Amino acid sequence: MAKIKKRGESGAAKNYITRTQALKKLQISLSDFRRLCILKGIYPREPTNKKKANKGSSAPASFYYSKDILYLLHEPLLAKFREHKTFAKKLARALGRGEWALAKGLEERKPLARLDHLVKERYPTFKQALADLNDPLSLLSLFERLPRDPVPGKTQVPTEVTAECGKLLAEWKIWAIRTHALRKVFLSIKGVYYECEVPAGRSGETVNVRWLEPWEFKQTVPADVDFRILLTFLDLYRTLTSFVLFKLYTDENLVYPPQLDVKLDAEGEGIGRFKLVERAPDAQAATADGEKKITKKDVKKSIRTIAHSAAAGGMQVDEEEEDVLVKDEPAAEEEFTYHPSKHDTDASDPSNAPLPTYTSLLANTASDGPATAEKGYNIFAPYTFYLSRETSSRTWEFVIRAFGGKVITTPSLNELSTVPEIASQITHILLDRPMDPATMRTLQGTHKWTWVQPQWVADCANKRTVLPAGEGSGYEPGGTLPPHVSPWDEEGRDDRPWLGTEASAAAAAIEGEASEDEDAEMDTAEAGDELTPALRAAAENPEDSTLVHQAELEAEAAGVDHAAFKKQLAGAAKKGAAASGSKAPAAGGDEDLRKIMMTGKKQRLYEKMQYSNNERRQESILTLPVTSQTDKLASKRQAIEKRKKKGGK
Amino acid sequence: MPPKRAPTATRPAGSKRNTATKANPTATAIAVSRKPAVKRSREDDRDAAVHVDDENLLAGKINGGVKGKGKASAGVVEDNEEDEEAEEFEIDTGSSNGDLDDFLDREALESPADDEDEEDEEDDEEEGYNTSDIEAMENASGDEDDEFDDASSIASSSIAPSTVPDSNLTLDQLIAKHTYKPDENMDVYVSQATGGRPLVGDARTGKFSNSKEGTGRLVPSKFVKGALMREYDDIEAGYGSESSTEENTNTIGNVPIEWYDDLPHIGYDVSGRKIMRPAKGDELDKTTAEDKLLQKQVQLSDKELDIIRRLQNAENPDADFDPYQETIEWFTGKGNEMTMPLSAAPEPKRRFVPSKWEHKKVMKIVKAIREGRIVPNKPVVEKPRVYGIWSNDDMENPPHAMYMPAPQIPPPRTVESYNPPEEYLFDEGEKREWEQQEKEDRKLDFMPQKHDALRHVPGYENFVQERFERCLDLYLAPRTRKVKLNIDPESLVPKLPSPKELRPFPTNCAVQYRHPANSRVRCVSVDARGEWVASGSEDGIVRVWDLGNGREVWRWNLKGGPVQAVEWSPNKEECILSAAVAGRIYLLAPLALISPHVAQTTLTHLNTAFSSSSASTNNIASGKPVVPDAKWVRPSEDERDRGMMVIIEVQGTPKQITWHRKGDYFATVAVDATNKSVLIHQLSKHQTQSPFKRTKGAVQRVAFHPHKPHFFVATQRYVRIYDLVGQQLLKTLMTGLKWISSMDIHPLGDNLIVGSYDKKLCWFDLDLSTKPYKTLRYHTKALRSVAYHRAYPLFASASDDGSIHIFHGTVYTDLMQNPLIVPLKVLRGHSIKDGLGVLDLRWHPTKPWLISSGADGEVRLWSS
Repeated sequence: MAKIKKRGESGAAKNYITRTQALKKLQISLSDFRRLCILKGIYPREPTNKKKANKGSSAPASFYYSKDILYLLHEPLLAKFREHKTFAKKLARALGRGEWALAKGLEERKPLARLDHLVKERYPTFKQALADLNDPLSLLSLFERLPRDPVPGKTQVPTEVTAECGKLLAEWKIWAIRTHALRKVFLSIKGVYYECEVPAGRSGETVNVRWLEPWEFKQTVPADVDFRILLTFLDLYRTLTSFVLFKLYTDENLVYPPQLDVKLDAEGEGIGRFKLVERAPDAQAATADGEKKITKKDVKKSIRTIAHSAAAGGMQVDEEEEDVLVKDEPAAEEEFTYHPSKHDTDASDPSNAPLPTYTSLLANTASDGPATAEKGYNIFAPYTFYLSRETSSRTWEFVIRAFGGKVITTPSLNELSTVPEIASQITHILLDRPMDPATMRTLQGTHKWTWVQPQWVADCANKRTVLPAGEGSGYEPGGTLPPHVSPWDEEGRDDRPWLGTEASAAAAAIEGEASEDEDAEMDTAEAGDELTPALRAAAENPEDSTLVHQAELEAEAAGVDHAAFKKQLAGAAKKGAAASGSKAPAAGGDEDLRKIMMTGKKQRLYEKMQYSNNERRQESILTLPVTSQTDKLASKRQAIEKRKKKGGK
Repeated sequence: MPPKRAPTATRPAGSKRNTATKANPTATAIAVSRKPAVKRSREDDRDAAVHVDDENLLAGKINGGVKGKGKASAGVVEDNEEDEEAEEFEIDTGSSNGDLDDFLDREALESPADDEDEEDEEDDEEEGYNTSDIEAMENASGDEDDEFDDASSIASSSIAPSTVPDSNLTLDQLIAKHTYKPDENMDVYVSQATGGRPLVGDARTGKFSNSKEGTGRLVPSKFVKGALMREYDDIEAGYGSESSTEENTNTIGNVPIEWYDDLPHIGYDVSGRKIMRPAKGDELDKTTAEDKLLQKQVQLSDKELDIIRRLQNAENPDADFDPYQETIEWFTGKGNEMTMPLSAAPEPKRRFVPSKWEHKKVMKIVKAIREGRIVPNKPVVEKPRVYGIWSNDDMENPPHAMYMPAPQIPPPRTVESYNPPEEYLFDEGEKREWEQQEKEDRKLDFMPQKHDALRHVPGYENFVQERFERCLDLYLAPRTRKVKLNIDPESLVPKLPSPKELRPFPTNCAVQYRHPANSRVRCVSVDARGEWVASGSEDGIVRVWDLGNGREVWRWNLKGGPVQAVEWSPNKEECILSAAVAGRIYLLAPLALISPHVAQTTLTHLNTAFSSSSASTNNIASGKPVVPDAKWVRPSEDERDRGMMVIIEVQGTPKQITWHRKGDYFATVAVDATNKSVLIHQLSKHQTQSPFKRTKGAVQRVAFHPHKPHFFVATQRYVRIYDLVGQQLLKTLMTGLKWISSMDIHPLGDNLIVGSYDKKLCWFDLDLSTKPYKTLRYHTKALRSVAYHRAYPLFASASDDGSIHIFHGTVYTDLMQNPLIVPLKVLRGHSIKDGLGVLDLRWHPTKPWLISSGADGEVRLWSS
């Protein structure tokens, strides 16, 4: 006899655990559990049969995979949470008793939770980390600009956190500028979307990372937004981003973190305040040897050697260990101000050479990649842009530089003429304010400047060509801008030829139809009796050139001019198509008939699929790529065209 | 009305008696029954010798007043205790002496004189009752005098020593004694109350009355002639007297006082008189309190007011209470030291010697400090904040069914652009729809906007909210794997040969045969040679049409209501048309239309039986039951000239006629003819048989097997196949249909189609199963007729939805191969009238043509 299976001992009942049960099992509070779930990436599941998963109860509950929870039991973070709890108790006790010394000692030995093990655990490969970088970057760019107390009286956002968000984003952008990784820019009503193509490893794989940066306004923060949750996410995302940046910088042979130029920072410079430092060649060699990982042991060892050497009073430092030091030291820094190491004083050290600035680096990059130039990721290389004060330098400096251009912001527009050496460099002026052409001309003087609105930069970047920007292109200040289209549905461009530069046959068709509709009444009145048999025959199969020719000849004989004949032919063809269309369902009734032979089950499934497909088609009008947005948009467009035409007349 | 319970006033009376008899240690326990007041008052009477009718209690009070305060208060205490006891018992806690005396008394009880005394007492008892009580008693007024006499005699006799009570009896007493009939009830009652012991009053003391010893004035008794009684002055009860002696004479008992709210009185006194409502005092007077029972204001004394004030101030109500008494140190303080310790053991040594282990530990630390292993505030070597955690040989985790990464947010579309093409903007309708939708239902979480310059773009107000919701989704939204059925719906449609390959089949309407007045054409038939079409309409006329040109060539007016069925004989050598109306079956022959040879054979076949015997029905001994009701009638010569050759009169309304393939037999079905619903007629012998004695269920259709002697009978739900030779049931086909409407058998005989009113068509493969091979449902309304083509692999069905479906149905000779059914064509043309569409259809015997008749009064020929 087979073993009797007991209820609730296998399957869903064993696989899932409710949140309350999980809390009991882990012996932590709900808020701790929440934090743990966010950090560890544990999420509730939807069992296929809730009743089975909940031991027969149908009460609403959120279920977790029980192995996830078992896995949490061994989480070092859990121990840290407990440590922190005891620490808080001890501290409170010490403070309550006025034992300040003890409290200070406790505070110094405060348990700190580190999340680096989680990064490796959640993203075993660099590619996976990159694939999940969209949300982190978006959240970082939100926090970059948040005030200290987004919801007054509630959880505060420490200023260090906001500062770090800004720093990480700036580092990310510098990296993107240096590697020309930016691919797409999209100005949406929510903010600016960017997409970077990031190499995921040595095999040449790339991952597209897309993030959204809000417009630079004060954010409206609803009172019910729980910043504790957001901050927990931010903790994880900061850690993840910094590790990703470390990897990217190391792969680019740069020192991470880059040095902050205190002077520029004080001047309010944006991304330019960081300076990229190439790593020492020895270190390069070391990494080239095989991506040597710095372990804790290495660090300890190096410290010991330093201690020994210091004790010996000698300066003979083992070469290899020196490399390690050079490599580590910036990484170990807490503050991101540049502390020159003692070796920096050594003039013979190659890393002590004058630090490459942005301009020098960019100058290097102009020559570094024929590949990037080929692909059009360097389109602005020959140009220098002057950013007018009202344009967002955060966005446009990044975009222009990422596509190879140079950016000048400093003297105001009116004072430009006073600094001729700058004014002469400028090729484009990015202007986003109403300005009459006369003023522009006077400002411009003898220089050859192209005045453009910011959208031009984004459109050029997306199309990877320098679009014409003169008068009549719509990009000139005060001009009517062409529509800004999402670069992510460019595959649908063929469907809407009126958006493209080249006028296509379909546009002409619309025009023809529109004109036809105007005098539809008289056309229809005539068409019925005027159609000659030859014309009708030609209309029925317009591919047949002989028939068309025959009809043409007849028309000529009847004294109908060519344009009128064309119109007649088109009208007749349309009618013929309509007639055949009406005939077609009758002829194509065979489709329906075959369905008779389906079984009921298949019939139902078929109907369901047809229904859902139809629904999706309806829904796709706005959310899916343009390819599937067929009829509705096109008809709307036609209506707009017609209206415009009428208005024009 | 007697008081239900003795008011508190009675109890003190008892206690008073105790105090009164204190000098006399033989005070006995008094049992108080339901009427405790009686005994008490009686005794009190004796004490006080006051015979005021209903002021007995007052006597007690007076007595109390006389005896002194101290005793009275003791009595109050006792009284309170007693109050808590059950009313029926009252135990006097006399001294031990009393008990002893009690015992003695019991001995004394033996004497008859005692008995008499007891009776006397009881007499007195009566006397103590209220007037109302007395009324209630049986021997009420008549004995009154005697009783009083008795009482007076007692009073007089009490002067003499009680040891010889008999000597003191006066004549009156004697008379009273002997005329008085003791009340048994009372006796029993008393004895019960006293626990079976006879009531013994103070008589045991030998003292019946204190009247001689009193201090009041002696006046002649008003009640007993010649006797004296003491009269006392009324004594005003002072404050110190017991509460029970207050004039609380309201006897309403424990009832809510509100009941008297609407009445002028507030209750009744002891004698049953109304106590009128006293006048209300001043509301503002704070020195009075309301007596709820008597509803009057009682003046509070200074002391009471002081108590109230103290209670209000949350002080001790006792004015003499001193809260700050000096403590008296009983157990502590000087001179109270404990002289003896609990343990005399000396202090152990370990309390004076340092711990060895602690020393070791400390030394360890000291050593470590000396060696420099412990450094105060030693900087912790921290792990670097960032380091390379990924290398090139990282491996992804193996895929797991329970790993469900969160879906990424899809990239933004042009709708989201700050400057989208105009067609993306909402028009009025879309805008309204978007605004009215719930936030969750919206397909777009924002409304598309168009700005003519970048500087006009405002901040997006939902940015934080959307980010937050995304975060919530990431950690809070339950995830599940949804398997999407990613197949092309077209792949579900079966692969069938194209109808084009299966030609010929009827595709369009070639000829229409119009009936006048659009009367419904219920039935239609094509003759065996395929030349004539016969139709039967509801106007009762059978028409014969030329198939090719649609001209009406012959008609018979049957005048029997709607023509239910017409059917040509399948014999090509003959031309016989059968038609059915209510109660009759006609055999018709359009003789003028047919060739003489055919006409001759037809006439011969129809008339042989007439010539052979006039008695048409009864002469056959075939062994089969012959139906006597069916009558083969020879029509008049005139009618015969018109081609109406034979009339068969049958029961019910035949609805279907079906011929045997040889053209001699035909069967009819008349549903309303109960067990004679199926009839088989033989033309050559003019004979009608009923094959079934009784039929299971209402027979809908019958059919002959094309080449076997089998007979198909379709009832409402089943199709049964009978062997006509063996006369047995061969098979029952389970159609699964609710109501069969039509049936046809494939010309090869192995397949069967059945149409039903529940819109279904079943194809049976008789070799395969008794269940349908295919059940198809494609008509939207009931099927009326189904038919196989005799020569082509075609079949068709007609329905009330006005359509005719043509199918290809190949039956293979290979038994392993299932029939191939391909829908070919839907023929539409018949219009629906009153919910009826196509009523009947027949195939042309040789060509792929179809004849159909409809409710719209048309017969149509459909040709390829």
